[in-house]
Amino acid sequence: MRDACVVAGGQSKWGYRDATLIELFQEAGKACFEDNPHIKPADIDGILVASACSERLSRQTHLAPMVAEYLGIKTSSVCARVELLCGSGSSAIILAAGMIKSGLSDTIMVIGGEKLFTPQRWETFYSQLGSVDHDWDGAQGLGLPPSLLSIVFQRHAALYGTTEEQLAAISVKNRRNGLNNTKGQFRKEITLQEAMSAKPVAAPLKLYDCCPITDGAAAVILTSGEAAKDFTDKPLVKIIGTAQATESNSISNRGNWTTWNALKTAASRAYSMAGITADDVDVAQTHDCFTISEVIEYEDLGFCEKGEGGIFAEKGLSDFGGKVAVNTDGGLLSCGHPFGGTGIRQAIEIAKQLKGDAVHQVENARYGLTHNFSGAVVAHTILIYGRD
Amino acid sequence: MENQFSNLYSVILDTYPIEGKQLTKIWRFFEYLKEGRLTTTKCIKCGKVSYPPRIICPECLSEKLEWIDLPTKGTVEYFTELKAGVPVGFEKPLIHAYIKLSDSFDILSKIVGIKSVDDIHRGDKVKLKVFDVPPIPAEIGRDKINIDRVYFAFELDN
Repeated sequence: MRDACVVAGGQSKWGYRDATLIELFQEAGKACFEDNPHIKPADIDGILVASACSERLSRQTHLAPMVAEYLGIKTSSVCARVELLCGSGSSAIILAAGMIKSGLSDTIMVIGGEKLFTPQRWETFYSQLGSVDHDWDGAQGLGLPPSLLSIVFQRHAALYGTTEEQLAAISVKNRRNGLNNTKGQFRKEITLQEAMSAKPVAAPLKLYDCCPITDGAAAVILTSGEAAKDFTDKPLVKIIGTAQATESNSISNRGNWTTWNALKTAASRAYSMAGITADDVDVAQTHDCFTISEVIEYEDLGFCEKGEGGIFAEKGLSDFGGKVAVNTDGGLLSCGHPFGGTGIRQAIEIAKQLKGDAVHQVENARYGLTHNFSGAVVAHTILIYGRD
Repeated sequence: MENQFSNLYSVILDTYPIEGKQLTKIWRFFEYLKEGRLTTTKCIKCGKVSYPPRIICPECLSEKLEWIDLPTKGTVEYFTELKAGVPVGFEKPLIHAYIKLSDSFDILSKIVGIKSVDDIHRGDKVKLKVFDVPPIPAEIGRDKINIDRVYFAFELDN
């Protein structure tokens, strides 16, 4: 089977933007083409567009041919939209990799993003009532999940002694990592004290424990191993492991709140496919929509023992020079989180790390991992990237 | 400047379920709710209890399901108040509690009837609270009718 390689990546500026959804896609597409001048729109035979909220917030469906037209792309192999809320971008990368490996496509642009700050920002919170089980969880006022993650943290704290200071250490780390990311939403360091004394969002979770609402888009170009050699002289960044796992959707059917079994299932499959273990991962971009998420992700991805995620952060083992550098570009907490764009932003950072081009470089990184969860912590999507 | 959207921004999302036997096969859930009962479906063939209610059993795919009662009283294990981003249509304080209703059934529900998050504690007893929500203006054949709706949350059981 052929390899699927990342040969270009770029993104729009993320934040509260003076631009519509289709304009954000144009900015991201241009940045992606500019990242690798050897690739032209005419080289692209497929496009996958990842976006979760375009109907609700931009009154637009049938996105893929529209984005293709605006970027001067004429497709011949695939032209479709992919949606898995916060996992939309990573889902589209998995599907593109499958298309390329199987030979159904040769070169695909995967582009994703959202316009979440509509003229009236309450619409975003309101619309997310339709992203959990609308009739049973949305009707209880549970949309974007800070309340759910607050309860996840309270349970994790009761079982394992995880503290609010340990959560704050993660927000401090990810804000510091995002400091020099020119495309990110927040580029300001915070202190542990600032994180600890911030106003509550869903107590005990506070402002800096939660990622913001973000406008933005990002794009990568994937191609086969053979074609990649025509497009780049850099080491090839290959997709070597993928997995997507879900066990339930309704909040009442969650099972274990503090061990995310679907994440463990996905991790086990992705590591096995890649032929590596958690110890081999040099750099990871995990889904830090909330600080407590990153704690549980360390544990269930196998970076540390169960229950020790808080200590792992506190000791700096997820920082540069630690066991595995996590969210090296600032993560969702700094970059922001335009749902369909996030997995693609993660892929861009991992590709830079593996090529040795990152702003904050993990020395000699060989294996990189991305992870998203989506909805009420119900679906987990993992990609593992490796370089020659 | 006044315009057609000044008071009616151009987006509506119905935050409650489709109810009424003209529109959903699980309409009995809402009829029972009006009687103060919290119910769900159980598979007659394999015994699997599902929540939310279903029209097929996810275990054995049988369509032969019966309605059973769930407990309407429980205990608060954890709670939180959403301070930022309370969705339109929901009153503040928006408090959610993880409630143990039985050994095998938990629910994350809104808590109504309290003025402040300081009024709720771990271990508090809570009970089902049913309330009216806006009816659905539905087109049924050539008729336009209002389908009355209810929904539920929990309140302190003092």
